[in-house]
Amino acid sequence: MVDFAGFMQTLVFGLIEGSVISVGAVGLTLSYGVTRFINFAYGEFLTYGAYLALFLSGAGLGIAFPLPVAIVASVVVVGVLGVAVSRVFFEPLSERGPLPLLITSIGVAFILRNVLTAAVGVNAKQLDIPLMRGTEVLGVRATPIEGAVVAVAVATMLAIHLLLSRTILGKTMRATSGNRDLAEIAGVDTNSVVRKTWFVSAAAGALAGVLYAILFAPFRPTVGFNYLIVVFAATLLGGIGRPYGAMLGAFIVGLATQLGTSYVSADYSAAYAFLILVGVLLVKPDGIRGGEI
Amino acid sequence: MVAISGVVSFLLTIATLGCIYALLTIGLNVHFGFTGLINFGHVAFFAAGAYAAAILTMPPPSEVAGSQYLYGLDLPMLAGYPVSLAVAAIAGGFLALLIGLTSVRLSSHYLAIATFALAGVFEDVLVNEAWLTNGSFGLNNVPKPGREALGADAWAFAYLAVTVALLFGTLVVVRRLTGSPFGRLLKGVRESENAARMLGKDTTRAKLKSFVIGGAIAGLAGGIYAHFVGSVVTQQFVPNVTFTVWTAMLLGGAASNRGAVLGAFLLLTFQESTRFITTAYDAILDVLPSAGADAVQSVFGVLPSHPSFIPSVRFAVVGLLLVLVIRYRPQGLLGDPREIDAIGEEGD
Repeated sequence: MVDFAGFMQTLVFGLIEGSVISVGAVGLTLSYGVTRFINFAYGEFLTYGAYLALFLSGAGLGIAFPLPVAIVASVVVVGVLGVAVSRVFFEPLSERGPLPLLITSIGVAFILRNVLTAAVGVNAKQLDIPLMRGTEVLGVRATPIEGAVVAVAVATMLAIHLLLSRTILGKTMRATSGNRDLAEIAGVDTNSVVRKTWFVSAAAGALAGVLYAILFAPFRPTVGFNYLIVVFAATLLGGIGRPYGAMLGAFIVGLATQLGTSYVSADYSAAYAFLILVGVLLVKPDGIRGGEI
Repeated sequence: MVAISGVVSFLLTIATLGCIYALLTIGLNVHFGFTGLINFGHVAFFAAGAYAAAILTMPPPSEVAGSQYLYGLDLPMLAGYPVSLAVAAIAGGFLALLIGLTSVRLSSHYLAIATFALAGVFEDVLVNEAWLTNGSFGLNNVPKPGREALGADAWAFAYLAVTVALLFGTLVVVRRLTGSPFGRLLKGVRESENAARMLGKDTTRAKLKSFVIGGAIAGLAGGIYAHFVGSVVTQQFVPNVTFTVWTAMLLGGAASNRGAVLGAFLLLTFQESTRFITTAYDAILDVLPSAGADAVQSVFGVLPSHPSFIPSVRFAVVGLLLVLVIRYRPQGLLGDPREIDAIGEEGD
């Protein structure tokens, strides 16, 4: 019985981590859908989200919003930052194919991460989250905060689903992703769609960073870059450019990471995500979920 | 012998590290410049070479206090040095073979992610398998060949000479290789893999060979580095190294060997000089008339004093350089624009 409870506990942790990954993976996959390059600077949106939430909620800048307000503000600000980054760095190269964009994204990641490090140093920081005792249900323990993280992630997934399926913006995003030239001919202002997608993508990244910071505090300026492999694994597993696939991929990666850490070796927690990544690339590079978004 | 000044010793260090980075860049250039393979895990081959050299020549663990590693083969120095470098190159090439066997068939962006992730896992292995690598404490007794006989100053000159010779030797070999029919096959793969395949070429095998050659050159660089610095620690082998080498290659010019050397030296000189930023800043404030100094200070304030400030400025500039080169001069300083255009995007 003890083993079974432990197993269930691991599954629950896997789902909790999976929900954080899913927010990040959906953001990454949405931007890939319309820009067609893999953005290595995406991890910095997670980092900036976590640090902005930290500073806006009262660490050092003399601003002290309540944490939820700080989180919303930081998500919006990072969304705007995403649009700015795309206009300054990526739009001028958009006619040059994916390779220059890919390499530029590495450069952008270096700039964003190191400007932050130069300003705040590498000391680990922590959001002001109260320590809570977990509630035990059927031998499985979870804290209200973990519950809230899952709820926020699910709400985000739902919001993105509604965005894609019910709004004009979502439809034009799907059209641009499917065939940009055709969308352009059909009268879609694809440049504007791309910018809005950058906003959504970066904002989702920031939210993922905040959720990560809440669950796995403390964090450093390298947090987003280090988590990039995990987000990539989920994104590719789901089939890059496919939001619903990314959600599914995220939960599989979350479960695999927790199961591997509990039952194989805790030294290699990043390696499980990676094994999935390489497995997917070799066996089925299109991911587990076919079809258009 | 008169002790050499700090400036000379600093220049010798820059020159030796510059040669080592030039070797890394030449290796990456074989992958990307000549074959079009996007390798974002280059540091792993460098690390494999450095660790191989260290394990081969370190004294056995019984002679080192607090050691966790089990094997130090203690090859005698000078005679063992060529062996150590050869094994370092083989280790880099072998790791490249392993990674290449799984990944080299992947098209460009997937290969980028796979190599990036594999290098991350290799870094995890180096940290966790302390029986082999001494974990995050690192292997700190790598012998510096001939140092006792020569003394520190003469040794610095001698080691630079050896490193320069190895760099030139490698350049000659790579030159001949890229000019050979095999080199033309690599360029063919770079420009259109499908066309090369249609001509009956085994392109996967060609890419794998290119991967192994570049990996072996990086492994050699790792061996030279281990014996130069005298210690091998996991923190030396982080993704920043990979992307610094990428920046050096693109700055000098992809598919240009001279460019690789120039880019590596420019970048390394810049990186090593950044340690004087705060000194220079203070000096500028001293020299300026007080009004000017106040103006400068109101813009930049007091520079942060935490120890990661200078490294982060350094890497922010590396990132900026990468962005600027790609946007304004994709062929780099010495590259040929036609070669860059030829690095295709086929197979996505």
